[in-house]
Parts: sequence; C-alpha cells; structure tokens
Amino acid sequence: AQEVTLKLHQFLPAQANVPKYVLDVWADNVEKGSAGRIKVERYPSMQLGGKPPELIDQAIDGVADVVWTVVGYTPGRFPRTEVFELPFMVTTAEPASRAYWEMFEKYMKDEEFKDVHILGTWVHGPGMIHSDKPVKVPADLNGMKIRGASRTVNMLLAELGAESVGMPVPAVPEALSKGVINGTTIPWEVTAALKVPELVHNHTEFTGQALYDVTFVLAMNKAKYESLPDDLKKVVDDNSGMEFSAFAGKTQEFYDGPARELAVKAGNNIITLSAEETAKWREAAQPVYDTWIADMDSKGYDGKALIEEAQALIQKYSK
Amino acid sequence: MSNFDIGLLSLPVLMLLIFLRMPIGLAMLVVGLGGTAMITGGWTVVLAKLKTETFTTFSSYSLSIVPLFLLMGQFATLGGMSTSLFNAAESWLGHRRGGVAMAAVGACAGFGAICGSSLATAATMGQVALPELRRYGYPGGLSTATLAAGGTLGILIPPSVVLVIYAILTEQNIAKLFLSAFIPGILAAVGYILTISIYMRVFPSAAQIRERVPYGARFKALFDVWPVLLVFFLVVGGIYLGWFTPTEAAAIGAAGTAIIAWANRALTLKSVADSILATASSTAMIFLIVLGAGFFNAFLALTQVPQEVSSFIVSQGYSPWLVLTIILLLYLVFGCFMDSLSMILLTVPIFFPIIMELDFGLTAEETAIWFGILVLIVVEVGLITPPVGMNLFVINSMAKETPIYHTYRGVMPFVTTDVIRVGILTAFPAITLALMRLLY
Amino acid sequence: MAYLGGIVLLALVVITCLSVIGRNLNSLGHLPFVENAVPGLAGMLRALGSIKGDFELVEAGIAFSIMAFLPWCQMTGRHATVDVMTAFIPSRANRFLDLVWDVLFAFVMVVITWRLYVGMTDKMRYGETTFLLQFPIWWAFALCLLAAVVATLVTVYVAMQRVAGFLPGGGRPAAKHEAGKS
Ligand code: NA
Ligand code: NA
Repeated sequence: AQEVTLKLHQFLPAQANVPKYVLDVWADNVEKGSAGRIKVERYPSMQLGGKPPELIDQAIDGVADVVWTVVGYTPGRFPRTEVFELPFMVTTAEPASRAYWEMFEKYMKDEEFKDVHILGTWVHGPGMIHSDKPVKVPADLNGMKIRGASRTVNMLLAELGAESVGMPVPAVPEALSKGVINGTTIPWEVTAALKVPELVHNHTEFTGQALYDVTFVLAMNKAKYESLPDDLKKVVDDNSGMEFSAFAGKTQEFYDGPARELAVKAGNNIITLSAEETAKWREAAQPVYDTWIADMDSKGYDGKALIEEAQALIQKYSK
Repeated sequence: MSNFDIGLLSLPVLMLLIFLRMPIGLAMLVVGLGGTAMITGGWTVVLAKLKTETFTTFSSYSLSIVPLFLLMGQFATLGGMSTSLFNAAESWLGHRRGGVAMAAVGACAGFGAICGSSLATAATMGQVALPELRRYGYPGGLSTATLAAGGTLGILIPPSVVLVIYAILTEQNIAKLFLSAFIPGILAAVGYILTISIYMRVFPSAAQIRERVPYGARFKALFDVWPVLLVFFLVVGGIYLGWFTPTEAAAIGAAGTAIIAWANRALTLKSVADSILATASSTAMIFLIVLGAGFFNAFLALTQVPQEVSSFIVSQGYSPWLVLTIILLLYLVFGCFMDSLSMILLTVPIFFPIIMELDFGLTAEETAIWFGILVLIVVEVGLITPPVGMNLFVINSMAKETPIYHTYRGVMPFVTTDVIRVGILTAFPAITLALMRLLY
Repeated sequence: MAYLGGIVLLALVVITCLSVIGRNLNSLGHLPFVENAVPGLAGMLRALGSIKGDFELVEAGIAFSIMAFLPWCQMTGRHATVDVMTAFIPSRANRFLDLVWDVLFAFVMVVITWRLYVGMTDKMRYGETTFLLQFPIWWAFALCLLAAVVATLVTVYVAMQRVAGFLPGGGRPAAKHEAGKS
C-alpha cells in the first residue's frame, strides 16, 4: 500500500519532452520499484506556486519534495556547475552529464548543494543559434540582438558585439516574430514548442563542441529523503546518480532529432559549421574563459583546474 | 478529512469570507495559506513559501504591463484622449436611444485595440464615460455594467495578455490566436450594443436621449481623435513592426500619453501626483488579488481537486461536445469566484490535453486555437460575473454612488449575451477560425 | 510612500523608453543604407544600444512600486470587497467586520514582512545575483522590504484606528462603507 507521497514540481507543461520522457519515466520507475509504496504526485507548470527560480528553494524548504530546475536560474549560487555551461565545453549530452555527476559528487555535493539531496545532474543537447540572418563566423553576430540562455553565453555574445537581450523563454516566440530580437540560443529540442522554425529560418550548428549548454538538477528535499525507510531509500537511490543523469541527458538530446526534422521540412537554412570553423569560434570565446577563471579564482575555486577536469571527464566518458 | 475534502470545503469557506466583506485578495491568501498548512501538517511550508513568493509575484516583468497600462490610461485621460475617443463615438451614436452607453462600448473597443488588459480598459473608459452617463441620467447599475462589460473587450480584441499566456501554456502560435480573437471580439462589441438597445426598449425612460450632432461636428470629433490614433499606431504599430515588446509598448504608451498631456498643458505636478495615486490604488488592489490567487491556486493544486474533476470528466465517456460544454460551464462557475489569469494558469494545463484527445472534426491546431478563444471568452465573462468580477469592482469603485448590487443586477443582460455568444461560437467553430483559414 | 513608488514607476517608464530608443537607433546604425550614406552617424548610432539589463531593473523596481502602493490602497480602503450584505446588517456589525479584516490584514502584513526579511537574508547568504547586470538579488529584496515595512506600519495603524473607533466614544467615525467606498 502507499506509504509515501512525493510531490514532484517543475516549470514545464506535462506534455513537454523532459516531463514526459524523463521525469515521468523516473516517477514511474520509483513507483514501480517501490511496489506502489511511493506515489509521485506530478505538478507541472509551477502549479504549486512560485516562479522557476524558486524551485531549488522549494526543494530545500520542503515546499515540494522533488524539483527539476535549471541551475542557472539562480546565478552565483552554484558557481562550479557553470563549468559545463562554458562555450564550447560540452560535446554531447550523455558524456557531459556523466562528467557533471562525477564532478558533482567530488566537489559540489557537500558544498554548493549541501542543503538538498541531488538525484540527477544533466545537460541538454548541443546549444546553438537560431536567427533571422545567417550566422557563420563570430563577426556575423556583431550588432544582432540575441537572447542568451545562460550567464556565460551572454558573456560570449557581448564579447562578439551582439546585444544580449534578457527575457524569459516564453517571451521568445513573440520577440522573434516581432523582430524585437534577431535570434535566440536554445537547443533543437525546445524549438518545436516555441515554434522557432516558423519564426526564423537560419539555424547554426557546431561540430564537436556546442556553442553553450545549460545544467539541470533533479533535487529532493533532504529531510524527506532521510525520513524514508532504508528499503525505500534504496528505491530512490537505484533511480538516481550517474546512470539516471546519463539517461536524462541522452533522452533530452534524443528529442533534438524530431525538432531538427521540422526545420528541415520547413526548408530552413541549417548551417553546420565544420570543426575548423568551430575552432575559430572557440578562439573568439577565449576571453570568456579568462573572465570566468578570474571570477572563479576570486571566489576561491581553481577555475582552470575545473575546466581541465571537466574536459578530461567528458573525453573519458565519450569513449 | 482527506486533502480532496479540504479542497472541496475551501470553496464555500472562501465564498463565505468574501461575502463577509473580507478583501478578496486577503481572503484567497488566507484560505490558500491556511489550507496549505492543513494539508502539509504545519506552518513550515507556508512560511517557506512566504520567504520569496511575495517578492517574485510583485517582481514580474510580464505583469509590470499592468501598472504601466494603468498609468498610460491616467495620462491618456489627463491629455483628454480617452475623452476625445468617447466624444467621437458619442457624436456618431449618442442621439440614439441608449446612445451614450453604446458610445462607451464603442470607445472601449477602440481602447481595447491597443490595450492588452481588460481592467485597464474598464478603468480608463470608466473615468471618461461614467460622468457623461450620469449627466444623461443613465441608471447607475446600467452605467457601471456597460463599462465593466465594455472593459472585457480589452482582452478580447487583440492584443491580449490572457491569449499570450494561453499560447505559451499550449504551445500555440500567438499571431494566429490574435487573428482568431478578432471576429469574436467584434461580435462581443455588437452584442453589448444590442443589449443596450434592447434594455432601452424595455425601459424607455431609463435615460435621456442626447441631441443629434450635425455631420460637420461629427467629423471634427473624429478628427480630434488624432492624438489617440497617433499613440495607438505608435503602440500597436511598434509591437507589430518589432520595435518593442508589449511591456515596452506599455511604457512607450505611458510616455507618449504623458507628452500629449504635457502639450495640452494638462501635466502639472498635482495632476501627475493624482495620476500616480490612482494608478497606485488600482495596482495594489490587483496585485493583492494576484498574490492571493497564487497562494490559493497552489493550495487547490495540492488538494488535487482540479485534477480529480478533470479525470472524472474524461472517465465518463461522454461525447466531445458534452465534455466541452461541461468544461466551459465549469469555467463560468469558477469565474464567479476566481481571478481570470490564475484560472487559466491552473486549469488550461489540465483541460487542454482532454480537449486535444477529443474529435471535433477539426485539425489539432484548429481545435487548440478554437478552444483557446472559447476559454478566453468564458474567462472574460468571469470578469463580469458576480460576486467576484474584477471589472465590476474596478468600475464600481469609480462610481461611488452606485451600490455593488445595482452593478450586479445591471450586468446580467451582458452576461446573458456573453453566454449566447459562447454558445454560437461553440456550435460553429468556423466563425472563430474563418480569418485564420483565410490568411494562412 | 505611494509617491515614491510612483516615481520609481516613472523612472522605469523612462528607462524602458530609452532602452527601446537606443536599441532601435542601434539597428538603424547597422542598416547598410545608413552605413553607406552617413558612416559617421552610423558609427554614433551603433555606439547606442538598449540599456543593459533593463528587464532586471524593471523587475526590481516594479516589486518596490507595488509594495509601496499597498499602504495607499489600504489607507483609502480601496481593496476589492463584495458588499452584498452591507445594507442588511447593522452598522455596528459592519464596523466590527471592518475591524476584524483590518486587524487580520495587519497581521498578514507583519508575517509577509518578516518572511521577506528572512528571504532577503537567505539571498545574501547564497550570493545569488541577477542574470545580466549580476547585482546581488538581495538588493531588490531590500528595496521591497523597505516598502513592506512602511506598508506594515500603515496597516497596523489603520487597524489600531479601527479598534479605537469601535470602542465606545472612539476616534475614527466613518467606516469605509459609510463613507460610500467599497
Ligand atoms: Na486588447
Ligand atoms: Na466573476
């Protein structure tokens, strides 16, 4: 019989990819694994109140038991996760998600995330540019108004002479359709829901490393986790950690495919930059690395070492 | 008592408190937080929510459009813009029986074409039209009801904040939704004018008839609307040409109307101060309700009442049309005591998937857009259904001599036309979808 | 206080307008036509742009404004209520209801302000910043808290006046429905 109820709270509608193909799968597995002793109540679209940046506090304070959130919604609070958000750091989602989990366990678990029990850490598929005018070389961005999806991609946009415009994701379609912005940075997966291929017709993909990425966590209230009997704790443990993180990243990236197909069908101009061309972009992004390292150093972390370790781990898990 | 029972019980409790004249926002807040405490077995969760949610509710870029448009309305009134809009409508319609009230509806439709908020439309046109309606002896309840109903054209005629939110929730095209709202919006204005006309036939002595205005003066009145048109085109044109976002447009509109008021020498320290105070009152009133509704809706979600109700509906195996009718009726009932924006936020994620699984003989996109417009209209009706109708409160607070129950009584004919219109649009989806089918 | 909130609101209008104008002039400077015809002007235009983080300034400012508007609304008794029953119950009972709700309002405001303070200290501790301007988010909380403190004082004052007015021979004579407001 049911003993424990977990309130799972997140910001997207229930039918969006991640809720449907990652979070529901997780919840179903936990329910099944516990033979029905755990029930996961699913609250999409911020139904339990608050704004997306409050999700992590809701998990810490027990307003919700489990939350899925974008780490970058609360800039400055979880500084080391940002290493996976640096331009041209992530290759594909699965190895990066594994690397993220490993570094989470090693560094962040008992520091940045000490107030909460983390179940999974992952990144989405390669972040890229969708724009009204074709973007091939870094200089093409000069003067364009682009919505940046993370703090570091905004740094890069500013570096390249683009104007980074801040707005919440739901405002993007309207801003694009009206030309308030010339483009946006998001992975393919999100473009279908936001109707991006209908609104702008140029998509710039990179080879090897992605323009940027965004880090997610699935977080659980610590007291709630501790309160579980050992056998139910085990059920939760079995459904969290590196394998779950890898599954989540891989699944989210998988849904890049159908969304990309829509743009192809629409006859849009998909620009796939070669490894050499991407390398030029990476070069142009160097000042962002320098700033980030200095920023990390000032906070007492070794920024350079973090970058090197993340790169090595992504490499390791890519094999 | 199960969580579900607590949820069901909360509705009559909320109604009772509201009838005991507790401020509505406060009542929703108290019931929402109290209920949350009951369900979670203590005050920890409530106190945790209060740490940030008050701030994040108030600190919202998309909602900042509300005070900005209210301020714009104030400045537009100062500069005589809403007056000239109303005068133009009045010079063409005023000599008819009930003409001044009809002109108020026409002016509301005009204002609705730049304003995404129903409350701002009602408040702005109320300021202009109420004194005029009073002057021609219109009954208080009819005047307030006309403006409350006319105000709903603010969200029905695009642009519309509510439609944008629906578009985001259901991943539909905003432009297509706006386009599809146009015909229902015009129908609403026509329906309200007809309502007034019928009312005047039933109660012929209800108001004086205004003298006929010669055509020369009519065209002059129309010409005097130019500053309005200028700001309208700046704001709407700017949005469509991509010069700015709707929130920015509201700021530009406020600045533009301020400049026109200044040019008309109406911008004094005192008048600006008065505008600020009027904006402050309405803003605070609205945001207290937004805050309360946020807590109340989160609590309702927690009780699973909305979820259970919807799964019950699906499990009955009724025909698609019956399910749609039930959902629309539920909206009408909920609309009697809930705030429109929070109603959309709470129910659309639940009802939308149900509707999309039913077959109405339309494509998926057509179904989604048609349902969106129907929801928009029933939610808009909720703004004028007693006891909790935001437009009724806004207008009533401006007409101090009219008791609220006169307004309640006066609005019933308008609600009736709304219900008839919902019926027609439900039965004939082609009316709503015509423009979209034509242009896409 | 409402005036302060209004001044901030006006400031937001100005910031937003300047930002829109700057952004559009910047686009103008990038038009090939302008670049060829008047390169000097194009360069100047391109130096303009939207105000960085205007979005964040609006979010921080508007929270202050709304909180600052609350006491004015409370003082003038303009919060939305349903007074269907007012006419049917004795005036003393009406005044008693006013009293109860105003006291409850004051209590809620005290709690909200207290929690806002706790929320602010959390944000200070976490070092959370905004996205673009990267100013500490607690600054915006502090601004809002300032307005909340004033709002609390006002609601407590209004509640005390109600209590005084309700007691025999007490001060505030006109309850809000008697003054014709609702
Ligand atoms: Na409108
Ligand atoms: Na209503």
